[in-house]
Amino acid sequence: MEKREKAIDGYRFLPPGLAAWVRTFIPEGAFKGSIPWTPLSKSLSQTSFALVTSAGISLRSDRPFDMEREKREPLWGDRSFRAIPRGMTGNDIDVNHLHINTTYIKQDINVMLPLARMAEFEAEGIIGRLAPTSYSFYGYQWKNTDFLTEAIEPMSRGMKEEGVEAVLLTPA
Amino acid sequence: MGLAARFLEEAGFSTLVLTPNPEWHRAVGIPRSAAIEYPYGRPVGQVVDREGQRAVLLAALSVLVKAQKPGEVWHLPFTWPEEPRETDWQPPEMSPLIKIYLDEIKQARKREARKL
Repeated sequence: MEKREKAIDGYRFLPPGLAAWVRTFIPEGAFKGSIPWTPLSKSLSQTSFALVTSAGISLRSDRPFDMEREKREPLWGDRSFRAIPRGMTGNDIDVNHLHINTTYIKQDINVMLPLARMAEFEAEGIIGRLAPTSYSFYGYQWKNTDFLTEAIEPMSRGMKEEGVEAVLLTPA
Repeated sequence: MGLAARFLEEAGFSTLVLTPNPEWHRAVGIPRSAAIEYPYGRPVGQVVDREGQRAVLLAALSVLVKAQKPGEVWHLPFTWPEEPRETDWQPPEMSPLIKIYLDEIKQARKREARKL
């Protein structure tokens, strides 16, 4: 079901060849199959949030996501994840991703992982709380779902421990 | 990212994907999407544009409240201020995946051109 004030063209920023190729992976009709659903149980102003991005953001003190192996093995993508505490800025992070220009995220982490904006919303009472920890994994996972158990599952345990109820995800 | 959202939703979290490419929903089945026509790598907005980032996030958060059924895609009404070719969102070097699939990519483009 699509709700439109403006119809988004998800291919607008892709070069024509890449757009044509991506379209070969996407069916014409609506998604058929079940979709999991957890209703939002409280108002935004009472809800605890965490952020998750697939942009390959690590702390400078962390091991960076592994780009060298991907260069050697183009069908392999790093399946690990990193915890990003609230309060981190562009000065605290490194970004590694071979499929986007990472310059902008390094200049302002909020274009991808909006920690400062969500902290403002918490202070203003728009959301209940931004959890102490948000997360990054590496979104290039070519025909491989092992990242769900190796990255997303441990993240989800961390979120439960911190009382998270809702998650905003930003793909790279 | 859609698979991650599905996993988290299954684990008991209410999720929202703020995505520049909502078409993937048809392949994956994403619980809630807020679609935005912004370049890859900057779904929340421009560097140091605090007000612009806030506006996008407030609109995205409202989708968490408005979406009533699994699979809803809400299109956000924002417009990026640059033309696509000026956005410089692509990596400085062609990705390893694209390098090995370059022929297939060229063929996909030719097939589409023939259909038009």
